Amino acid sequence: MRSGRSLAAAPFCLGLNVRRSSGGRGYCLLQCALRIPSSVPVSPQESLAMELSDANLQTLTEYLKKTLDPDPAIRRPAEKFLESVEGNQNYPLLLLTLLEKSQDNVIKVCASVTFKNYIKRNWRIVEDEPNKICEADRVAIKANIVHLMLSSPEQIQKQLSDAISIIGREDFPQKWPDLLTEMVNRFQSGDFHVINGVLRTAHSLFKRYRHEFKSNELWTEIKLVLDAFALPLTNLFKATIELCSTHANDASALRILFSSLILISKLFYSLNFQDLPEFFEDNMETWMNNFHTLLTLDNKLLQTDDEEEAGLLELLKSQICDNAALYAQKYDEEFQRYLPRFVTAIWNLLVTTGQEVKYDLLVSNAIQFLASVCERPHYKNLFEDQNTLTSICEKVIVPNMEFRAADEEAFEDNSEEYIRRDLEGSDIDTRRRAACDLVRGLCKFFEGPVTGIFSGYVNSMLQEYAKNPSVNWKHKDAAIYLVTSLASKAQTQKHGITQANELVNLTEFFVNHILPDLKSPNVNEFPVLKADGIKYIMIFRNQVPKEHLLVSIPLLINHLQAESIVVHTYAAHALERLFTMRGPNNATLFTAAEIAPFVEILLTNLFKALTLPGSSENEYIMKAIMRSFSLLQEAIIPYIPTLITQLTQKLLAVSKNPSKPHFNHYMFEAICLSIRITCKANPAAVVNFEEALFLVFTEILQNDVQEFIPYVFQVMSLLLETHKNDIPSSYMALFPHLLQPVLWERTGNIPALVRLLQAFLERGSNTIASAAADKIPGLLGVFQKLIASKANDHQGFYLLNSIIEHMPPESVDQYRKQIFLLLFQRLQNSKTTKFIKNHLLKHEISFALMNRMFGMVLEKIIIPEIQKVSGNVEKKICAVGITKLLTECPPMMDTEYTKLWTPLLQSLIGLFELPEDDTVPDEEHFIDIEDTPGYQTAFSQLAFAGKKEHDPVGQMVNNPKIHLAQSLHKLSTACPGRVPSMVSTSLNAEALQYLQGYLQAASVTLL
Amino acid sequence: MTLTHTGYEYLFVIVLLAGDFLLLVNMAALDASEERLKKFKYRGKDASMRRQRRVALNLELRKARKDEQTLKRRGITYLPVDPAFEDTTKEISLSMDEIMKGVNSSDLTICCQATQAIRKMLSREKNPPLTMIVDLGVIPRLVKFLSLRHYPHLQFEAAWALTNIASGTSAQTQAVVQAGAIPSLLGLLSGVSNAAVCEQAVWALGNIAGDGPELRDVVIASNIIPRLSSLISSPISISFLRTITWTFSNLCRNKDPYPHEEAVKQMLPILSYLLHQQDSEILSDTCWALSYLTDADSERTALVIDTGVLPRLVELMDNSDINVLAPSLRTMGNIVTGPDHQTQMAIDAGMLKVLPRLLQHPRSSIQKEAMWALSNVAAGPHHQIQQLIAHNLLPPLVALLRNGDYKVQKEAVWTVANFTTGASADQLFQLINFGILEPLLNLLTVPDLKIIVIILDVISSILQAAQNQGVKESLCFLIEELGGIHKLEALQFHRNPEISWAALKIINRHFDEEEDGYMDVLNSKPRL
Repeated sequence: MRSGRSLAAAPFCLGLNVRRSSGGRGYCLLQCALRIPSSVPVSPQESLAMELSDANLQTLTEYLKKTLDPDPAIRRPAEKFLESVEGNQNYPLLLLTLLEKSQDNVIKVCASVTFKNYIKRNWRIVEDEPNKICEADRVAIKANIVHLMLSSPEQIQKQLSDAISIIGREDFPQKWPDLLTEMVNRFQSGDFHVINGVLRTAHSLFKRYRHEFKSNELWTEIKLVLDAFALPLTNLFKATIELCSTHANDASALRILFSSLILISKLFYSLNFQDLPEFFEDNMETWMNNFHTLLTLDNKLLQTDDEEEAGLLELLKSQICDNAALYAQKYDEEFQRYLPRFVTAIWNLLVTTGQEVKYDLLVSNAIQFLASVCERPHYKNLFEDQNTLTSICEKVIVPNMEFRAADEEAFEDNSEEYIRRDLEGSDIDTRRRAACDLVRGLCKFFEGPVTGIFSGYVNSMLQEYAKNPSVNWKHKDAAIYLVTSLASKAQTQKHGITQANELVNLTEFFVNHILPDLKSPNVNEFPVLKADGIKYIMIFRNQVPKEHLLVSIPLLINHLQAESIVVHTYAAHALERLFTMRGPNNATLFTAAEIAPFVEILLTNLFKALTLPGSSENEYIMKAIMRSFSLLQEAIIPYIPTLITQLTQKLLAVSKNPSKPHFNHYMFEAICLSIRITCKANPAAVVNFEEALFLVFTEILQNDVQEFIPYVFQVMSLLLETHKNDIPSSYMALFPHLLQPVLWERTGNIPALVRLLQAFLERGSNTIASAAADKIPGLLGVFQKLIASKANDHQGFYLLNSIIEHMPPESVDQYRKQIFLLLFQRLQNSKTTKFIKNHLLKHEISFALMNRMFGMVLEKIIIPEIQKVSGNVEKKICAVGITKLLTECPPMMDTEYTKLWTPLLQSLIGLFELPEDDTVPDEEHFIDIEDTPGYQTAFSQLAFAGKKEHDPVGQMVNNPKIHLAQSLHKLSTACPGRVPSMVSTSLNAEALQYLQGYLQAASVTLL
Repeated sequence: MTLTHTGYEYLFVIVLLAGDFLLLVNMAALDASEERLKKFKYRGKDASMRRQRRVALNLELRKARKDEQTLKRRGITYLPVDPAFEDTTKEISLSMDEIMKGVNSSDLTICCQATQAIRKMLSREKNPPLTMIVDLGVIPRLVKFLSLRHYPHLQFEAAWALTNIASGTSAQTQAVVQAGAIPSLLGLLSGVSNAAVCEQAVWALGNIAGDGPELRDVVIASNIIPRLSSLISSPISISFLRTITWTFSNLCRNKDPYPHEEAVKQMLPILSYLLHQQDSEILSDTCWALSYLTDADSERTALVIDTGVLPRLVELMDNSDINVLAPSLRTMGNIVTGPDHQTQMAIDAGMLKVLPRLLQHPRSSIQKEAMWALSNVAAGPHHQIQQLIAHNLLPPLVALLRNGDYKVQKEAVWTVANFTTGASADQLFQLINFGILEPLLNLLTVPDLKIIVIILDVISSILQAAQNQGVKESLCFLIEELGGIHKLEALQFHRNPEISWAALKIINRHFDEEEDGYMDVLNSKPRL
């Protein structure tokens, strides 16, 4: 399943605790509460200053207190008031005074949060906008904040530290030159609370070096930081490590010191990210030796009892692994002599680290480090010893592939997450994934030995299982996982495993160890092993011979009834995958006939599975339903009445609260398939579907279920297109509603609505012209709205095409002039490639426009852009249009446009012969984003509601090249002599050759 | 359907089509769209931008590398000089005071002793007291000694001492110049001078010229070139010729501004002559000189090319001495950053024949330099790319992208990027068939933002090309098999917005949902 990626990538909103700031200013009634001297203009736009007086502090305290009130009637005005005065000079200083000196702890914290948010909103100076904080305040804040931050208790320190990094992002280093010195000086303090505060601030300032591009500005800053910071940091690092050994028995001291070490290691990463700085190259010995020591260090006092949360020791080691990996990857030449020691240390670390969840990040980081090193030829020697390999396999890989208590928990209680990790590969940071990567890395050079070592393991684990399955089932799970990771060398969603390790006999394993589990009559026994077995079939479907797969189909159908969500979901998914497999001739591997014996039980179990607890909106099951319909085709017709009833019931149920977009999508696909399959055999049956569906559809439209409306329109289009005769009156009643602007405001509706209007025009143009002629301006209004938008202009064209093609010409004649004006106006204002493509389609229109502008359009747009036209039909239409322009349009032959005749012919030949130019101007890449406001429902095209490409010139012109030749011939007979001379004098040689080819093929000559 | 011609009189009209929509149509100002047209950047690069010039970034976080040529040199070891100058006096160590007095003495023997003492101090291997000597204020005296034609030993010691002072910081070099050393040193270049003195003077001038463009031009303006030229044509020792060559390299060195075109024209025939010597040191410095001259715009580079040195440079790229190989490779690398016809001349000189060997050189710095050169050939038109393929350069490219040191991998990524932009579809598929995708995709996890962006760009253009050729599906398949999709997916969450956006775009455009299956069920017509 790869859908929904774009959703997942929506930018996260960072959890900064901004307390709401609603509305603008102007809430000034309360302002008199603060005594504001009326004649002290400070900054140009905010001419007010507040005194730093006790009275003002008192008032501010009152308001801050009110902002914490649960009652909005008290809270909101207070918030608004604070916002209304925040532009005044001294306001931030009052806050700082409060957070330092207030007697009330709550007010201190509240002031610090308010201050942080104030900085966040106002510090940045935006060009062309007024400076929101006056210069004196800025200076005062910068002068005091570091000291304040360092002397405050932790809660406040955090807020101030955040504020410093916001300020730093704007002002550092140029406008805050003292910051670095001030921070470095604090290293001398010896007070690790202070030092950690500095380190934390430094980290928040420097971490952007990890994700910003190299630039002069950035590197200047880094250089500055390195000059001032690298040496003190190194000294601090050394001193801290020494302190760790002198305080080795003092748990609380150690915790503070280790927090420092973690921050120092993080700073190391940031400072070394862009390139290897000279300083760190010169001091590599110090850093790497100490990192190495820390990796091997353990101290009982630092071990935590918590099973889940990583402790300081784990966090530090994990960061050191990252640092070592950074050096190994980017600065290999310089790091080379340290690397073997790190490999050994990290490997030892892995061997001695337990199974608890808190070690997960450390372990997967450490394994990934080994995986990336072992693939490199010059480090091959570090691994090639048989004992080393055995030890890595035995002590690092196997233990990390075990099914842990946490996995078991997820399997049972959080199956959705489990499935996502296990099936969709969102397991990037898991131990199992890391272990698999290591197997794959080792197999690059040592496939034989590694396979040998693991085969022994697999056998012994299977034997353990056989001794006592109910106790030892996890051994079998590990064995299956090991075989899977060993055998899979390459994998895709569509095909499962595509390249397998030839040293593993997959079919044999399938027959001996997978099938027996699935054949056992109790589908609820050992659910994990069942899931493993089903997954095995799924991923090795291209390696296991078809006859074995066929045997497993009824077994899979049977497992649709399993209680375990994972098991029945996997069963549905496996069936779905098997049904898409391709055999020879690109037909599906399994024919409808082969599945026919199971149709009834398959459909029954699939729909029954939707009633199992936790699976009522299971997208895998719905997808399997859709796929079964599509594979079985006519074989489902006998069941359609039941199926459509169940589908509409489901639709009705989920329309109350649509929450699973994929489930919903497949459900509508399944509905479309039912319609298509049935009506293909019996078009009259469309009425039955309308009967079954319209009730629900009406409800959806009435309740304005936004997610479903685009689907409903698509299904209605399909139904309407299925009608052979004129449009039923039930549809005509809907027509005026479709033109309501409100519907068109949602971008997700637009493609579906256009499609539906097209269906109306196709089937009911005469009805519209006769019975609803007053709606034609509305229709054109929709067109106008659509072409005015960059994102939807093509939809406008689809609509216009249908109007022109289907409406009786006399019904639209009066609007023709406006249509042209709109087209050209759009063209000049902003020219997007898409628009041009569509515009070219309408050549038959453009050539009517023979005024001054036409030449310009031709020269600036059509000739240079024609190469961008894509799609066979589009190209053809375009070719026909240009041919017409060249050969049937007198002004082209004898006005000032004549000079464009050959270039146009040349570009037409280019359209035929040259590769398509698909470059999209840069700024257009962003159209989609800009034009899609907020979180509107996006449009999802239903594949099974699709219609075939429409070719309006189909009958008229078969081969556009021949057509060109013939038309040119005709033109040349009308004005003998001119065409050959125009062609031969200015067409380039290559194009001329092609043209000659066309003329020959059409067996005509130019006169 | 046909439409009839209608005339338009109004250029400014308000069209009211439907009650809901009102639109103002302004038919004037067509140029607006033309203006926009100019702003469009197709794929963001034009050919000239693809060739990566060695950017003179003053900003480096890295340590300066040792494989560059030295700017200034100090005479440390005792040179095999004229026996006449052999120390007759015993080692005398003098105090600063004594030196001061000695230098200012009217007795030239004492002057000589003191100068020698200075020279010896300045020739100490570690911590020569340059500052102290400069502060002593003896430089004008030393300069004066240069003109004492009858005391070659003193001249020699003074020239040496000055050489070593000039090897110091810019301020120290300046101090020498300000004392009027240049004309005096130049005076020593005549045939009359003792050879050792003359050589020492050349060396000192070399150090001065090496300080930077300003002093370089001062030295050039003193008309040094013809003097050096005539020295070369006289019978001189190999060591002297080396010193002269090195001085020439400093006369060619530095940009902003470059040396005068006239001076370059004067030097080129000499360099061309030196390039045919056998001595490694001479060859090395000559090549460095040429590398400086070619690190310039194409007109300047053309001056070098026109001397016909390219075949010899290519020959030297194969030299067993890395000190010759490196600068000749650098020079050729510079030349292929130029326009296509200059690159073609480098190819015609046989450069591509040597590159495969250099790409397998044991030193990664050489691999890197060779890859850089290759990347610029790959930025050329189809036929140059074709030659690159014909010379069997794709296998080492793939190998280095896979296993090279990171700085080589980086250049290899550039090569692939340039190749992808300029290659025909056929050439592109050859690259893919050689296995470029696996190592390329693997590098998507590298902690280097720029490289990630470039690779994403490459993947996007390869996919586009595949789409145009109708083979996108198999390419997508390959990318997925190689684990590329997982990597792209992970990059969608990258903190850098340009990277996450680029990754997202590729996925949406080429790998979006349900490529797998039911769409083709729809397309296989017989089934529906």
